[in-house]
Amino acid sequence: MHRSLLVLWRSLGSINLTVGLCLLLTADLVWGYFSLDRRMPLFTPLNDMGLIPWMQTYGSHNLAATGWFFLLLALLTLLAVNTFVCTTNRVVQLLAARSDGRGTGHRRRLALKLAPHIMHYGLIVILAGYLASYLCTQVLTGRTLVPGSHLSLPGTSGQVTLLAFEPEHYRGTRLAFWRNEVITARARLLLDDGTSKQEAMLSCTRPVRFQGYSLHLRDFAPKSLDGMKMKTRIDLYVRKDPGVALYLAGIVLFTLGLALYLYEWIMYREATTE
Amino acid sequence: MNRSTSHPVLGTLFLLLALAVLAACDRGDRAAGTAGDSEPAFLQVGEFAINRISPDRTEVRDGAGRTLVLIPREAPMPADCAPSQVIRVPVQRVAAYGYFDIAVLRALGVLEQTLVGVTVPAKRWHIPEIKRGMEAGRIAFLGDAASIDYERLKQSEPELVLTWDPSVIPLLDDLHIPAVVTTTPTAMCLNARMRFVQFLAPFFQKEREADAYFARIDAALRDIRARTAGLAHQPRVMWGDIYEKRVMVEPGNAWVGELVGLAQSDYQFKDVFGTSCIEITVERFLYSGQDADIFFTYRTREMGATSKEALAKLNPLIKDIAPLKRGKVYAPLPHYTQGADRLDEILTEISAILHPEAYPDYQLHYFVELPDTEPVPKERS
Repeated sequence: MHRSLLVLWRSLGSINLTVGLCLLLTADLVWGYFSLDRRMPLFTPLNDMGLIPWMQTYGSHNLAATGWFFLLLALLTLLAVNTFVCTTNRVVQLLAARSDGRGTGHRRRLALKLAPHIMHYGLIVILAGYLASYLCTQVLTGRTLVPGSHLSLPGTSGQVTLLAFEPEHYRGTRLAFWRNEVITARARLLLDDGTSKQEAMLSCTRPVRFQGYSLHLRDFAPKSLDGMKMKTRIDLYVRKDPGVALYLAGIVLFTLGLALYLYEWIMYREATTE
Repeated sequence: MNRSTSHPVLGTLFLLLALAVLAACDRGDRAAGTAGDSEPAFLQVGEFAINRISPDRTEVRDGAGRTLVLIPREAPMPADCAPSQVIRVPVQRVAAYGYFDIAVLRALGVLEQTLVGVTVPAKRWHIPEIKRGMEAGRIAFLGDAASIDYERLKQSEPELVLTWDPSVIPLLDDLHIPAVVTTTPTAMCLNARMRFVQFLAPFFQKEREADAYFARIDAALRDIRARTAGLAHQPRVMWGDIYEKRVMVEPGNAWVGELVGLAQSDYQFKDVFGTSCIEITVERFLYSGQDADIFFTYRTREMGATSKEALAKLNPLIKDIAPLKRGKVYAPLPHYTQGADRLDEILTEISAILHPEAYPDYQLHYFVELPDTEPVPKERS
């Protein structure tokens, strides 16, 4: 039993497995590229209904178009396991070797040697964060606001009111067909938590965080000063996503590892070359 | 690394992962069994979807990505969703914005019994049930879609509003009237156009009528395919128009684009993807018009599409495109946009226009071919 576990552990940490997985991931993503073409409506609900319900509905009913995604999940899981085992093996070796040396310089060298492994652990945490997002996120879909209207955030005393939609339009001349189109959609919101009020600016790339929720701009109207006159509105995704903290932590970990790696590169390897 | 031992282990891992995926899919299939009827537990219609959770609960996803819950009329209000998300079925009073939605109600056989409000005045209707209903006061004109009279809407007491305009939803929420957004950011493909009736069917518990309608359209498509499959000539088709400042066309992913391809023809905008009636550049429109054979304009006779000459006068830019010079131009008749309940006839007519050789003696009902010049008015005797 013990021997079987050891064989399994070694197999999961194999560099051959890493290379094989990378090749398979590449092939799978090529398959995904062609499968995604004009089939976005299949995958859009994944953003709000969660992974398991999506797998049981859209995913399993359209396997020809979604098979690559299931395979991607399996491959990424294996890659995460492979990375963890491989990195842990190396970290154990480095820590064991630490007993051979003492002193500040030695400890610093050890910390720098751990840099790639910190990045690897960071990657695993990021992947776990995304998995947590797709498994556990609570999403309120299709919340539409017009100026003056508000929405209440469930389970809180928080209320969000749209004060004004203040888009920026393209005024240049170089892209004639883009003239008067909205290039930055901005919505001014009033956030009321029951005791205090504050204003916040929401845009496509800048969600607003409030009362444990994040508000994301999904769509808006009007999109142009010309053409059909549409009434002003913004459509929101309201999310409570436990994965965000996890993948932000992963990014911090990855950045720390990267910084240590670059430091080692500049301070030691370049110096050795000279 | 011992390869001979690692490969069986990895193979086992892959097998386990595959089984896990299959298990997830299997749970979805079992859900189909719990729905308790012959209808599939999950049905996707373009960007719309129906998910039958139990006999007393069906969740639908509308064109704006909102989830709505359908429950029987006598069932208690579910605690896990907002009241504005809950629709009691079968719906008995409905207000509708779009021609297509209303045509689908007609296809389901519920138009006369359920429709109580529209956003188009009586004089512009060609559907006899609506003309009669408006005359009798059963169907109210709620005002133009851009400026709905909410007082009148409230008086009509609809249990459901079918709309293309999401900006009315906050106001409808205040009035406690559930709404379904029936348009989507991307154009409906042919399959979605045919199946949309199956999306609306659960609201009225008319699944059987929806299936019959779909079967009729499907039969028409099969006939089109059979008649046109072996034809050598593949006409090049464009569908859209140039307006004062903008050029709008049907993209390749729209149902007309797909139909043209299915009917052994070549759609000039098949590479264009996006919303129905999408804007493109003038240059692209003119480039595609250089070698097109057939041009379907959005304009009706009432909008000035009385002849090729009239179209060229309306927009001198298009006077040199091939369909106006040596090809054919077709304009929709006014009742075309209200005739989606006869989608089989419309599809057949478009196919007959593309391949008249496959439809001898076909008489047009939904489109009219534009003459080269303005018809000379008959002299009064």
